Amino acid sequence: MTVLILTGQEDVTADMVVMHLNAASVPVVRLDPADLTAGAALSGEYVHGSFHGHLSTGGRLVSIHGLRSIWVRRPGVPAARAAQPSAWLTEEASQALYGMLRGCTARWMNHPDAARRARHKPWQLRLAQRSGLPVPATLITTFPQAAREFAERFPDLVVKPVSGAHPQEPPRAVPTSRVAPDTDFSAVAYGPTLLQRRIAKRADIRLTAVGGTLMAARKETPADADPDEVDVRFATSDVPWRPAEVPPRVAAAVHTYLREAELAYGAFDFAEDADGTWWFLECNQSGQFGFIEVETGQPLARTIAEWLARPAPRDHEQTDGRRTVTP
Amino acid sequence: MQPFALNYARPAVKREATTPYVYDSGLQLNVMPDGRIAASDHALLRELGTTTSTAGSKTHFDD
Repeated sequence: MTVLILTGQEDVTADMVVMHLNAASVPVVRLDPADLTAGAALSGEYVHGSFHGHLSTGGRLVSIHGLRSIWVRRPGVPAARAAQPSAWLTEEASQALYGMLRGCTARWMNHPDAARRARHKPWQLRLAQRSGLPVPATLITTFPQAAREFAERFPDLVVKPVSGAHPQEPPRAVPTSRVAPDTDFSAVAYGPTLLQRRIAKRADIRLTAVGGTLMAARKETPADADPDEVDVRFATSDVPWRPAEVPPRVAAAVHTYLREAELAYGAFDFAEDADGTWWFLECNQSGQFGFIEVETGQPLARTIAEWLARPAPRDHEQTDGRRTVTP
Repeated sequence: MQPFALNYARPAVKREATTPYVYDSGLQLNVMPDGRIAASDHALLRELGTTTSTAGSKTHFDD
């Protein structure tokens, strides 16, 4: 039984997992959907009530029936590198590949349906609340007046993209940024705006969940840190990430979140305040983990490899077509 | 007419460093010119930041 990894060639983080799978003699096929029709190929036959499908890439041929797990890591846009790429061909290739894979019994990290839903940050906030995680007061609005009133109730605010995406024409980054008290909110009318009470943090927390295993890392905020420097991804601090214990209540809530979200993997970001409370910021369903392993030595890649290497459920265990998330 | 959040945008940082490894389709791993597996060199990964959570990724926002 083979592990299928959907990712690009340049994904050196995936390499960290492939190395562990190789060491355990678990067969791996690494395929970038962008290579479909130019380096990667597929075929599936539905005849006499049964399905037989195959994928091919890099000289390897694998039966879809023989997949134990599928890791959707950093897949390219299907058929993006075809000889004559087009939006139509991308949709054709996407439907063919993911449609066939959806019909097999392999375990997913993460299933595309769960992944798509989990990317919605407003949905994340509500699920986090329901799961028992503290969520900073948040407003998402296109009403300038609502923004003004929210700022009166919560004078210390940050703004960040609702989607987490960044504009590309021209390429720009939109970090989580502090909003000045006298800010003019009239431009809120031109796009949904996410305003959130700023947590005066003493540390950033990255909690990586792999199945039922939780590993947290903590990056302390320096005492002399600029309070306007909110986004840890842009912070100039050279304080390293260190392993951290996960408080039992947080662990229970995270397990609830993952179960409800039907996620096998999630990278949770928290802000730790002066009382030690971990405030939920977001959960990235395909968040990076390599930098945490490199700095903390936590065995994230090995844990992912072990999850992927488990046997696939048998056919009769998924007869109703529902997804199963194995802890 | 610019959305509020874009008042806080900054130019995306273009990664200057070129990666000193290439993908080996036989191994399904990125390898260094001397044959070493790039992912086994944590000092290199730290230096390049290729495994790091970043903002402004063109293709992915799941960091």
